[in-house]
Amino acid sequence: MIVAENVHMHFRRGLAGAKIRALDGMSLQVRDGDFFALVGQNGAGKSTAMYCFLGLLKPTSGRIEVMGRTPELGSSLYSTVAYLPEEPQYHLYLTVEEATRYYSSLYGKRLPAKAVDDILERLGLGPFKKLPLAKCSKGMKQKVGIAQCLMVETRLLFLDEPTRGLDPIIVREFREILRDIHKRGATIVMNSHVLSEIEMLATRVAILEKGKVIAQDDLHTLMTLNQDLYNVAVEADGNVPDYLTVTDRQGSTLRGHIPKAQLYEFMDYARQNGLRVLECSLQRASLEDSFVRILQGGAPGEKKVN
Amino acid sequence: MGELLRANTLTHLTFFRRSRLLLAFGLVFLLLASLGSLPALLAHSKVASFDSLKDIFLTFNEFLIFFGAALGLLVMSSHLSNRSLKMVFTKPCPPPVWLASTFLASALVSLLLIGFVLICAVALSFLWHVPVRAGLVFISLDTFLAAMGMAAYFIFLTTVLHPAVAVAFALVFNGSLFYYLRILMHGASQVAGKSVILRSLEHLFHFLYVMAPMTRAFESKTKAIYSSFRVPTHDWLYLLYSLGYILALSALFYLLALFFLQRKRFS
Repeated sequence: MIVAENVHMHFRRGLAGAKIRALDGMSLQVRDGDFFALVGQNGAGKSTAMYCFLGLLKPTSGRIEVMGRTPELGSSLYSTVAYLPEEPQYHLYLTVEEATRYYSSLYGKRLPAKAVDDILERLGLGPFKKLPLAKCSKGMKQKVGIAQCLMVETRLLFLDEPTRGLDPIIVREFREILRDIHKRGATIVMNSHVLSEIEMLATRVAILEKGKVIAQDDLHTLMTLNQDLYNVAVEADGNVPDYLTVTDRQGSTLRGHIPKAQLYEFMDYARQNGLRVLECSLQRASLEDSFVRILQGGAPGEKKVN
Repeated sequence: MGELLRANTLTHLTFFRRSRLLLAFGLVFLLLASLGSLPALLAHSKVASFDSLKDIFLTFNEFLIFFGAALGLLVMSSHLSNRSLKMVFTKPCPPPVWLASTFLASALVSLLLIGFVLICAVALSFLWHVPVRAGLVFISLDTFLAAMGMAAYFIFLTTVLHPAVAVAFALVFNGSLFYYLRILMHGASQVAGKSVILRSLEHLFHFLYVMAPMTRAFESKTKAIYSSFRVPTHDWLYLLYSLGYILALSALFYLLALFFLQRKRFS
């Protein structure tokens, strides 16, 4: 669906300003049907990458293909693509209803009034449809952005910090909408700082650091990346192997963790010494843990796309 | 393509309708134009009716040329500064269509206002018992073409420059300046003898003078129409020539604006 190969994007601030390497050899691949999340610290190049995918920026060098074509401004390629920008930079002189109608008409077809009304009602914008965007709150503008994304049958959806400024109820509903769009076969590419949200939605994740992808894989694999501990709970009379770090003791029940490499050794020990194993599970890490671990560990080299 | 052009043009018309800056510009100029027309109205007599009508009509037509420039300037600068074009170009709406819609919307507004001024002038003619002359229509059409040329020029300038710089540029670097510089270089080269540099500069300024956009390309030929409002049959041809000039000028500025628009960073 999207292929980026060794993409460089360099800016210069002012005529003699310092060169900024927003993207520095970024390579990634988004497959058809992925719910792909781009994560990284501020300034890592997430938004720049998305702008390049959308043709809003032309890379200094490297290759980008979206659905087999090089993205360009206003290309017919976007007839099945929707984009929700990070900043609500909309046509502020239009009302909520006019803006929704205008953005959908840019796909070359006029939508029936009822379809527009239905979407606006669904997002709670019904009572505000005559309100100019200039007078709307940031959250309301973001909802207009969501509305225009829902107006077309999308194959590819770009979301740049989509839930920023939205109230929790709408965030929840938006998540359901995204799941629904994804279930219908659309590919979704999302930038977000909210890692818990990515955990809930994404199937694949790329971590960007200083304009490079330093890790890219399935969400599940990334979440278990560098995980080297198993949580165990055993009933023991006091004799436990040295490599079991006990963190809690309640009567004869011990809780703790063992290194991943010694799992089989621990199983043998338990069998030989009659320990009753109550629990043994790979320590569950959040995406945040993996993210921090990967960033702290520097760039381990991009994980190959499966 | 038609639907895209329609949608964008209607949106620009909404922008013009709701732009407070444009409204303020219009009101200020209306006030100035009304004050300018006041002596003509106060000193109005049956004999001077035609002169009063002429003064008022020409003042408003002159204003509408500047208004055309303001339309071009505002439609481009507003969309570039609030970055709303991101929302347009990430949809199957290519820059050539969007840009064409800015020209079209500016033309429609100019046409509407010029038509309104023409109707008012005709009404005033009836009221003051001044014969309605073909010059009113000729001048209105000539003004429309001039306003279109100015709108196209400012759409291009604002694509490249900050709007304030664009205005300053248009005020300073115009045909009069290049004409003056050309004459200056010509005089200097006469005095200095065969100076290659001065001769080259003279040619350069002559080229820039020719290339600088003119509001009324055939002003010297149509001067009489502006004073008598009578149009000899063969003078209608000048409108056709003006149309050709403005179409060529607009096409040039359209292509230049498109070139720079497509190279802008929309981030």
